[in-house]
Amino acid sequence: MIYFDNAATTRVIPEAAQTVFKYLTEKYYNPSAMYHEALDVKNDLENARSVILNQIGGEGKLYFTSGGTESDNLAFFGTKKKRNSRVIISAVEHAAVYQSAMNLKQAGFDVCVAPVDGSGKIDIEAFSALLNADTSFVSVIHVSNETGAVNDIGELARLTKRVAPRALFHSDGVQAGGKIKIDLKSIPVDLYSLSAHKIGAPKGTGALYAAKGVHLNPVIVGGGQEEGVRSSTENTAGIMAFATAFSAAALHIDESAENLRALSAYLRKRLGAFDDVMVISPEDGSPYILSFASASVRGEVIEHALEREGVLVGTGSACSSNKSTRRIPEALNLQGKYASGMVRLSFSRFSSMAEAEEFADKYEKVYKELKRHVG
Amino acid sequence: MSVEYNCILIRFGEIFLKGHNKKYFEDLLINNIKSALKPLKYTFLRSQGRYYIEDAADNSSEIVSRLTRVFGIHSVSPAVKVKTDEEELFKAAVAMSPMSGKFRVTVKRADKRLPFTSAEMAGKIGGALLKASLGKLKVDLYDFDFELNVDIRDNGFSYLFYDKIPGAGGLPVGCSGNGMLLLSGGIDSPVAGYLIAKRGVRINAVHFHSFPYTSELALQKVKDLAAKLARYTGGVKLFVVPFTDIQYAIHEKCPESFMITIMRRFMMRIAERLARREECGAIITGESLGQVASQTMQSMMVTNSVVSLPVYRPLIGFDKEEIIDISKKIDAFDISIRPYEDCCTVFLPKNPVIRPRIAEAVEYEKNLDVDALIDAAVENTVEEFITSK
Repeated sequence: MIYFDNAATTRVIPEAAQTVFKYLTEKYYNPSAMYHEALDVKNDLENARSVILNQIGGEGKLYFTSGGTESDNLAFFGTKKKRNSRVIISAVEHAAVYQSAMNLKQAGFDVCVAPVDGSGKIDIEAFSALLNADTSFVSVIHVSNETGAVNDIGELARLTKRVAPRALFHSDGVQAGGKIKIDLKSIPVDLYSLSAHKIGAPKGTGALYAAKGVHLNPVIVGGGQEEGVRSSTENTAGIMAFATAFSAAALHIDESAENLRALSAYLRKRLGAFDDVMVISPEDGSPYILSFASASVRGEVIEHALEREGVLVGTGSACSSNKSTRRIPEALNLQGKYASGMVRLSFSRFSSMAEAEEFADKYEKVYKELKRHVG
Repeated sequence: MSVEYNCILIRFGEIFLKGHNKKYFEDLLINNIKSALKPLKYTFLRSQGRYYIEDAADNSSEIVSRLTRVFGIHSVSPAVKVKTDEEELFKAAVAMSPMSGKFRVTVKRADKRLPFTSAEMAGKIGGALLKASLGKLKVDLYDFDFELNVDIRDNGFSYLFYDKIPGAGGLPVGCSGNGMLLLSGGIDSPVAGYLIAKRGVRINAVHFHSFPYTSELALQKVKDLAAKLARYTGGVKLFVVPFTDIQYAIHEKCPESFMITIMRRFMMRIAERLARREECGAIITGESLGQVASQTMQSMMVTNSVVSLPVYRPLIGFDKEEIIDISKKIDAFDISIRPYEDCCTVFLPKNPVIRPRIAEAVEYEKNLDVDALIDAAVENTVEEFITSK
């Protein structure tokens, strides 16, 4: 089987699975307890925190959460914002950010959506035009989960601060963490969301980075864990595995990117052979994601036909049968039949050229067959 | 006023009317009740035109809820069973009654040997309640807030109850034979199946699957709908027919505007083939007159003309809203609106023909090897027995 849906989730790497086992069966103590064993776990937890903070070059704090979605929610709802002030997001945000922004809109905030280009990258000029002194919060995805387009969040944050010095800049880094290098202390990004299960750790763990001086009010209250910002007994097994997987990914970050760039370039060429297939992902984007659209066959149908050949791919959130998911194709300005023809390939650092070749052959076979019937 | 209901009383409706077939209907009903209550533990008793469930322990509310889905049951009542003894009756009546408001007591006495009339006993029990309420209860035989029913049976026991929970009505499933339901995944077809099952028909269902144009999720949706139906029918034999090749063939060889018409003619033919094999007396569809292009009078005539079995369309005169109400009642609605494509929405023509003629359809089908296509589809049909979850 070929699994090219790693942006949805990844297989847990053996080291991370072993870590989970260890923290479930040996070091299972509640880190808030008073005895030595618990303190030991507490120290491990703090170690994991600094490991991840170091990898993202952060100088502020890192709060563990239940995943990317909770991190995004905490960034939106745990920060102070002037009443009815302006909030800006991009047009291809993940649903966790988009729905959070829609909640703020209902509460009276002036929520603006900055357009993106055909590859999913934010239009900097249009973004700048939306910035005003009344802007209190900006959220722009770092790496688009739909197309792999990489936004220059450093530049966007600087632009924001220039116009609205007190505005907070958040970025959803779920598809970036462990995959592209980042140094948060060198850019004025205030909040950054991470998820564990996109890089070989289990589902159920994530983190929100908050730069120095950024205050967060809790969304979940209780026993006061995570400095009171996120109560609930820490998911130690998940957090430790998160750090394990993150370190492993970071260790191979350049080498993995290089391999995947070659793989992605190869697939671009193979897909380019069809005149009704349009590659959406930009060449300078994350090599972990390659999206394309067909003008002849719906994305969902391609997905199921490939499934029969033992190839698992995604349609992103742009599945045509659900009307609420028109948001992304529209944002990408996909015209005509391309709008329902989107397919997303997403790789892990273990994806190989041999798999890419097998994929391309199978795709060619399946696609020709499907096209015969839709004329 | 706390009391333990230790018994459930079951009344059946229409099957009384069925003259000397009564035993057949009753045996079927009892069989269906028992199968609906599997694997719960209880004791089943029958006596003089009623059934009783006893020794149900903690399962009472689950049993009541399952019984209200068995066709043929008119109503059920959780009841208190006591020895027919004045003191016992008073004690139970007081324990289970509210202690203020207007009430009446209605006594039915099957045991005519007892030394009192029904009215006398009602008066005595009413008196006991009045006394116990310290004057807060008032008797009113006509304008009452609650009515305590007391059935005095001839086996030395009496049953006291308040609620009459309406049952599903209808006839016991199986008494009217078997039917083959076209089950799509939409709102209408499960409702059609429910209504026909209510008249005693055992439901088989056929679903047309167009992988890769429809997904496994769409198939799961159909299975979940069948499971909801199975709560009423005791189970649904589901036939999943691979339909993609037939759609390909029609798409290639017939005019686009006839796509749906000819597709539906194939569905009817396949349904009839399976129906005859499964000894079904009718095909059942969820069609409602004029709802879509394929459900006009002319379209239905053209699709109906390929089969000789009767086609039951219980929703033919229903508005969508009325169908949705029943869909919600049988808990199918939330499943039906899951957003997956079904085989009728793929290859959907832009302008489907609204008034097709049989002769045209016959003419276009000459381009197809109809029998071979049907043989292949039936041969690759997958059968699964779906039970309620």
